[in-house]
Amino acid sequence: MIELSKGQTEILELPLDRRIWLEGMAGGGKTTVAVRRVLHLLASGVPAESILIFVPQRSLAQPYIRALRGLTSHRGGQVSIHTIGSLSLQMVETFWFLIAGQAGFKHPQDLPNFLSLELVQYFMTRAIEPLVDKRDYFSSVRIDRPRLYSQIVDNMNKAALVGFPISEIGSRLKSALASGVEQAHIFDDAQTCAMAFRQYCLKHNLLDFSLQLEVFRAHVWAAPAARRYLRGRYRHLIVDGLEEDNPASQEFLKDLLESCQSALILYDRDAGFRRFLGADPDSARRLRERCEVKATLEDSFVMGPEVSALGAALAGQLGVTVSVESEADPRRALITVAHRYHPEMVDWVAEQAAFLARERGVPPNEIVILAPFLSDALRFGLVDGLERRGIPWRTHRPSRALRDEPAARTLLTLARLAHPQWGLPPTDFDVVLALMAAIDGLDLVRAKLLTEMLYREDRLLQFAEVHSTAMQERITFDLGERYDRLANWLNRYIDGGRADAIDIFFRRIFGGLLSRAGFGFHDDIDAGNISMNLVDSAREFRWALDFMSRYDAQIDLGLDYVKMVDRGVIANSYLRDWIADVEESVLIAPAYTFLLNNRPVDYQFWLNIGSEGWSRRLYQPLTHPHVLSRGWPPGAVWSEDDEQAMNRLTLGRLLLALTRRCRKAVYLGYSELSESGYEPRGLLLETIQGLLRRLAREEQHV
Amino acid sequence: MNLSDDFAFTQGSLGDYADCARRFELRFIKRVRYPALEVQDALGFETRTRQGARFHKMVQQHLLGVPAEALAASLADDEELARWWANYLARGLTDLPTQRLSEITLQTHLAGRRLVAKYDLLALAPGGRAVIVDWKTGARVPSQSSLRGRMQTIVYRYVLAQAGAHLYAGERIPPERIRMDYVYVAAGGERVSFAYSAAQMREDEALLAEMIAAIDRAETFPLTDDARRCRFCSYRSLCDRGGAGRLEDFDFDEYEYEDEEIFALDFDQIAEIEF
Repeated sequence: MIELSKGQTEILELPLDRRIWLEGMAGGGKTTVAVRRVLHLLASGVPAESILIFVPQRSLAQPYIRALRGLTSHRGGQVSIHTIGSLSLQMVETFWFLIAGQAGFKHPQDLPNFLSLELVQYFMTRAIEPLVDKRDYFSSVRIDRPRLYSQIVDNMNKAALVGFPISEIGSRLKSALASGVEQAHIFDDAQTCAMAFRQYCLKHNLLDFSLQLEVFRAHVWAAPAARRYLRGRYRHLIVDGLEEDNPASQEFLKDLLESCQSALILYDRDAGFRRFLGADPDSARRLRERCEVKATLEDSFVMGPEVSALGAALAGQLGVTVSVESEADPRRALITVAHRYHPEMVDWVAEQAAFLARERGVPPNEIVILAPFLSDALRFGLVDGLERRGIPWRTHRPSRALRDEPAARTLLTLARLAHPQWGLPPTDFDVVLALMAAIDGLDLVRAKLLTEMLYREDRLLQFAEVHSTAMQERITFDLGERYDRLANWLNRYIDGGRADAIDIFFRRIFGGLLSRAGFGFHDDIDAGNISMNLVDSAREFRWALDFMSRYDAQIDLGLDYVKMVDRGVIANSYLRDWIADVEESVLIAPAYTFLLNNRPVDYQFWLNIGSEGWSRRLYQPLTHPHVLSRGWPPGAVWSEDDEQAMNRLTLGRLLLALTRRCRKAVYLGYSELSESGYEPRGLLLETIQGLLRRLAREEQHV
Repeated sequence: MNLSDDFAFTQGSLGDYADCARRFELRFIKRVRYPALEVQDALGFETRTRQGARFHKMVQQHLLGVPAEALAASLADDEELARWWANYLARGLTDLPTQRLSEITLQTHLAGRRLVAKYDLLALAPGGRAVIVDWKTGARVPSQSSLRGRMQTIVYRYVLAQAGAHLYAGERIPPERIRMDYVYVAAGGERVSFAYSAAQMREDEALLAEMIAAIDRAETFPLTDDARRCRFCSYRSLCDRGGAGRLEDFDFDEYEYEDEEIFALDFDQIAEIEF
């Protein structure tokens, strides 16, 4: 166990009836104290059930989970760990029958249906697409429909998190951003769609994240039984990363704090880098006054003096002032070599990471490679470079969506073959791939031959229909026999007039055939896991739609599911949960993803430093994180100057957050020509160049 | 060492090991998710398990203050569940101490491992009785002797005796004060009860410690010789052990009702934010 500093020990040992506000820079040891405080509470006899650990994102709870799981001597209950999302979901579900009527749901006696992200997209499509088509909404916006709908969802979530009615979304955006009639129309359209979706949800007992949160805030938290339960249960509160949480969480915590016997609230200074997700560090500070003890931890246990100086100097270049400064030379923490072409830079990064790991003995998990975005090409280049050098790696952005995984594609193709009534026969190409994946040992050439000869009128014919014996021998009778088993299975299913629910079809063919000896998924754990993910997605879809069919016309669930998969609405999420991390490996990740894990490392590589992605927002014409924030003054107009200032502030905070999670040095990946062949001129590059010029000038003057 | 250091044993995982070491290995060491059907009538099975899960949720809601009438009003379309509910209201809480905690999880440690039990209901009177209630939705009430030997009976009583002090005014609960009730709501609310004793606790501790140590020591995890145990196992195609069993033969009495997996949707999962 880490030895605590004097300051940390003093905080740890404060009496168990104190509400403590603890602030300081990242890397100052606040989480370490909070983890120890939880253990201290338990060791002092505080019931585990009465402790609530509250975080803005689940990844930030990892240090607590590790510590609690490691407690092999603890006898008692379990500590709760929640985000506002998980807590509100649990509470709305539990107290649903007390509040559904007053919350405006049309069927308060029926169960609620909580929507996953992909189901929100699906129901958004169902609810508003007819409106969008009929009235020609968003005709001047050149982005695809799923992205457009996700921005409408984004607006609704912001309204719920910040705490304004969704009916104000359009007016807020218009007053700040609409420079012409066309743009004003777009915001009006976005408003109309948000209202239409909300009405649709209320009519069908559906809860997207925004409605779940609103119902929690306005109704559940106001219900005496629910308040009694939460206040009675959670007597000790630990909040980590309050500055990264949103006003809805902060309001709830402020209220809950009143009835808590003890609390420890951690607040990072100079942070709030999740603003685009609704983080509000200014509003967070209101909880400070509710705490009897205000403490600080100023010294970083992470950064060396040069890295500290680098963070402060870069932030200073961008006009962001920091609470702690260092006298050291920031250049000593920077390592860079300019390259002409992007692939050269990528290779250099892999080489340097390998050098650190092999020659300097740096554990691979003390190295991270970060970029503003992680394209497939960049990821491939890095992975290839590291693998060639024998360096283990991991990434939090797997390259393929679930629907593109071979096992999932195979199941989807077989579903199409088994349901000719859908009128969606698979292409020859898909059948070739499915046969290859389904039949163990079948190669591309033979799969192609089988498809060409036996895939007729949307069905698979018998192997005996291959008239040439020579051709049968070429394919081999062994493979032909297994092909027949597959074809027979499908044809029996079709001829039996059977129409299983789509997820049950997947499970039936998986268990009855594909996972049997001689078939492609047998003894293939990855195929099992991927199939299970697809089953989960399809089952969730069916449950939601089954539920809907009580109120609406019947829907062909299987057909709708496959169509939505084709459109990229369903089964499009990245596979995250089950991909095992290799612990001792170099992490390759988008910069914000790394930050949200809140784990410091020795060395960071910042790639594509010329990219504007380091500072500029995504193109999101229907929404705006700042205009829809709590701090934005009503009626004010968002100008180009505001945009520039915000870009500088965002980048300044990001660089501070990164350097405060870096112990030794930052490697800069720069190429004169970007990934797409242009000369990059982003704000990060400009900032670094400005800093180096300034330091050189200052050196000359000395 | 086969398991991660922070692995927690439960009655379910120990029961799996007792049934088939290979199943334990696939589920808890290799963490294989395998989507083959448990029974042929998949929708019938699903309906039945969802009813069971909903019943457990309703009891929890009721014990947290949601009026029974409001909950009953949601059952208009499910006669069977309504019948279970009526049986619960009539007999489920009879003769139980008044301090009632639903869906509570306790943990203790044994043989260097965590041992966890998730209770449907604990009804306690500090200084007095401590009753474990487990709701059963199976239509058949098993014999007393078969229930007595179940891993659930062994683990639940032991964990409460070891880890329930904070619910019992800070005193370790004497085993003699502990009782475990299985309440069969689909069978008119029939109750099968098991008392506990210090001698039984020592016996249970020895059994559990030996099982945990055996798993930790194990170098191989053989497939069970008894193929009947594979009938409802979703790994059976991986092990070449036949097809799915029949719904009529499935023993819901031993089915562990977990909450349907609640996805904790957080704003940061919104796809538009690409970082």
